[in-house]
Amino acid sequence: MPPSGIPAKRALPLKEAALFKELLNQYESRQLKKAQKTADQILKKFPEHGETLCMKGLVLTHMGRREEGLDLVKKGVRLDLTSHIVWHVFGLLQKGEKNYEEALKSYTQALRFDKENMNILRDAAHLQTQLRHYDGLVETRHALLRIRPNLRSNWIGLAVAYHLNGNLVEAKKTLEHYELILKNIPDYDVEHSEVLLYHIHVLEVLGEYTEALNLLDVSAKSRAIIDRVSIMEYRARLLSKLGQHDDAEHTWQALIEQNPDSYKYYQGYLSNRGLDLSSISDETRAKTLNILKDFSTQLPRAAAPRRLALDVATGDEFKTLAEHYLVVGIEKGIPSLFADVKSLYKDSQKLEAIASIVEGHRTASVASTSSPLSEPPTTYLWTLYFLAQHYSHTGQHEKALELLSDALEHTPTLPDLLMLKARVLKRLGDPYGAAKAMDEARVLDLQDRFLNTKCGKYRLRAGMNEEAQEVFGLFTKKDAPSPGADLEDMQSLLFLVGDADSHRRNGDLGHALKKYHAVQKVFNEIEDDQYDFHGYSLRKFAVNIYMNMITWEDRLRSHPAYVHAAIAASEIYVQLHDDPSLAKKNSPSSTLTEAEKKAKKKAKKAAQKVQEDAKKAAQSANATEDKGLEPSPTKDEDPDGAKLLQVTDPLERAAKFLAPLAVQAQDNILAWIAIYDVAVRRSKYLQAAQALSRAKSIDAGYPELHVRLVHFRKTVSSLPQPPPAPIGPALTESLQSLLPDEVALETFNSQYLQKHPGDSRAALAFAKALRVLQTPLEEIENVLFDQLRPENTLDIKTAQNIFAFFREINSTKVEELRSQLDAKFPLSTVFKSAQEVAALRKQAFADVEVVEAEKVESVS
Amino acid sequence: MNIRLATVDDLMGMQACNLQNLPENYTMKYYLYHALTWPQLSYVAEDHKGRIVGYILAKMEEDVNEGDESYGHVTSISVLRSYRRLGLAKRLMVQSQEAMATVYRASYVSLHVRKSNRAALALYKDTLGFTVKNIEKKYYADGEDAYAMQLSLKHLAR
Repeated sequence: MPPSGIPAKRALPLKEAALFKELLNQYESRQLKKAQKTADQILKKFPEHGETLCMKGLVLTHMGRREEGLDLVKKGVRLDLTSHIVWHVFGLLQKGEKNYEEALKSYTQALRFDKENMNILRDAAHLQTQLRHYDGLVETRHALLRIRPNLRSNWIGLAVAYHLNGNLVEAKKTLEHYELILKNIPDYDVEHSEVLLYHIHVLEVLGEYTEALNLLDVSAKSRAIIDRVSIMEYRARLLSKLGQHDDAEHTWQALIEQNPDSYKYYQGYLSNRGLDLSSISDETRAKTLNILKDFSTQLPRAAAPRRLALDVATGDEFKTLAEHYLVVGIEKGIPSLFADVKSLYKDSQKLEAIASIVEGHRTASVASTSSPLSEPPTTYLWTLYFLAQHYSHTGQHEKALELLSDALEHTPTLPDLLMLKARVLKRLGDPYGAAKAMDEARVLDLQDRFLNTKCGKYRLRAGMNEEAQEVFGLFTKKDAPSPGADLEDMQSLLFLVGDADSHRRNGDLGHALKKYHAVQKVFNEIEDDQYDFHGYSLRKFAVNIYMNMITWEDRLRSHPAYVHAAIAASEIYVQLHDDPSLAKKNSPSSTLTEAEKKAKKKAKKAAQKVQEDAKKAAQSANATEDKGLEPSPTKDEDPDGAKLLQVTDPLERAAKFLAPLAVQAQDNILAWIAIYDVAVRRSKYLQAAQALSRAKSIDAGYPELHVRLVHFRKTVSSLPQPPPAPIGPALTESLQSLLPDEVALETFNSQYLQKHPGDSRAALAFAKALRVLQTPLEEIENVLFDQLRPENTLDIKTAQNIFAFFREINSTKVEELRSQLDAKFPLSTVFKSAQEVAALRKQAFADVEVVEAEKVESVS
Repeated sequence: MNIRLATVDDLMGMQACNLQNLPENYTMKYYLYHALTWPQLSYVAEDHKGRIVGYILAKMEEDVNEGDESYGHVTSISVLRSYRRLGLAKRLMVQSQEAMATVYRASYVSLHVRKSNRAALALYKDTLGFTVKNIEKKYYADGEDAYAMQLSLKHLAR
């Protein structure tokens, strides 16, 4: 029986009302075909019945007829605006499309007409969590608990909602209440154990250490908490905080015995004794060192106390400890030994000590190789390997290469040596030689994906995108449309960022943008991933780790890959905005080599085949199969990114990509500069000013910031009229604090150069600012040519930036600069001519591979 | 290297490490599923900069018949090539096993390895003490067989 007072247009006669009920049941059990028929039966008589239209739309969407389905649902909503069913269905569809904002609005409507609907409330709670609408979440969780107080997860749901909303006291009360009414907890229950650990966590955050410790001890004793490691960790920490240092020490000791390689436990043990590992003073040094030495004796297999001792020790003590550490490491042939001790190099005395220890060891092993009782030859090898890393790290790349060549002569089959050679060559500015060396490493162990990945990465760095895909393809899924597609599906940020950067360096901006957006997509996916856990984790009662996920998702886009992709993409968008003709120049086919064209054709064919297969599969599969509410992946209409280059709103896209950085990368000066570049072009002058002042607070002398300061003043002072109040005055004020009005821009610029004598990065910034001030090209070029003089120190990176700037300003002297730079950096290949580069790329393979490739060619 | 329990913040590092090392890869959702279901079982090794250089991604087997012993499963374990010979795999495995036994009362732990992957087989057999229980035909998507291996955790029972 429908409740009284329902609108006439919703009311159905008995027969149809029964059919509608059946429709709901059929939908619930996903009998889609039947449900569709039932809906049609009702609609035949009542074509304007909103709820039925919506249900039919929902059913069709599940059957893969999305557009049609959505139209019906919208129509149904319009026809019956006060039905909770139509809004619920509309919300389901929006949720399926991950349009959480709109879905929540629909759910809110639905709840207006059916306040106590469990399903709708639960979905609404998940949406509110996803959207971080915590005030609303608390209300929803309250409603759920009121309706079903006997459902355990409803209590936890409310506690979590309070916690997320910053109300820990209420969260605690909810948990206390929950534990009071709990009955029949099975023995050894992991779920209950997790809830108690969450409760203890809440108490700890509230600073109620005694209560936390009591709950912990009682629950551990009764075996209500069964996670031993967590019990010990909470116990040690709480006892330390409560000043019960003796008991605490026992627990820290037990933790160390349980996991002797956890740095946190040593820190805890020491800090319990008032010793802070992160700021050792002369007073605490000896004490700390003694403790670490004791642990090294007690736990001979543990590496952590020995390594920590190296951080703490100084002088002769350091030498003794380091000698032992290094010699053992070299004798064991530990490849990561250098990476392990490198952080000690911040201290120049330690750097020297390490160098002299290992050099001494080399001399000794050279002498001993002639004696009959010589140590194994591998020790000599690992000594050379260590020293090569040491010299490369300190900028002596040629010496490093010499050592490596000795080592390789000794043992040509150790991939680690070739990997290091590749890295040294890369640092020297020879990406092609580096790719070749890495390939040589790879062919020594074809089963090792690590070597394979490195090789692909180095090929990308050398601008060899197709060749990189080929090598990646040896380990990617064979049924994927391409190796790159598999890596993208598997969310390989290493590949996506590397590939994008590579295309960008090759001048293929479309492909580059495409891949930067693929990075963005990965982060969108991961943000979506959390959705299911809003319900799942409450049912599992694993609350601490769930809260960990929420805070992690909140700072997800602080990940270096996102930050890098956002900045790089925004730079390209700015370029496109400044020079729309770039879109045409960049049409991908114009720059392809024959091999690339061939590979592309192949990839296209493969992609087509995959699509056809999918189509066939779809046709053969039952048309009534449930395809869910999430849209299936659509065909990529723009595989080369050509359309991305032609977007009419490049700045808006850039701004959107960059938006998360203002919070999540606020310590990154490059992020603020990118935000400025976009904001100023969008005439958002206050935002631009704020970005510059944030950048200034990070590093006031930063070269690219200097260029922006000049650019900003110039831009604002050339405005036809100042912006209206309140923006105008606010802008004047913030500009004044960035760059005082009294200073002429020319003066400001020369002062900057004077403040950084001999710094070619500053000189480049000075030149860029000259460009902003419309100085004649020749003058700008001369400033930069000066940087090549022997008295100036110019590193490869800056040289590359100068070279890029010459291209950007369409200098006629690009070629002249290139050949001079090429001469100045004889070991580098980044300043070779296009033909030379093409030739170098052909040689960037291990010789074996070339032979094999030729074999394949002649067969096919 | 620092060995510690994996948190959600580590999952992307674990995923990157896995993609670099092994042919069996997973999307982030699967890592989240592991961490949020069995938060005690996965461990990482990190270097001084906080980079993940090795990991064990582990779970409890969910489809255990009534009355059968519960057991753990190693979904994935690997260490970057440049961080080998430190015994990291063993240290990671030991921590995870301990948690399987104490928190979930697992009586043994299982894992799969490609028949052709001799290096991994040696690690599991010789270093970690696993034994081959049987061969699962065409276990992998590309048709390769897997060795199903096991290691008893009875000695850890409390």
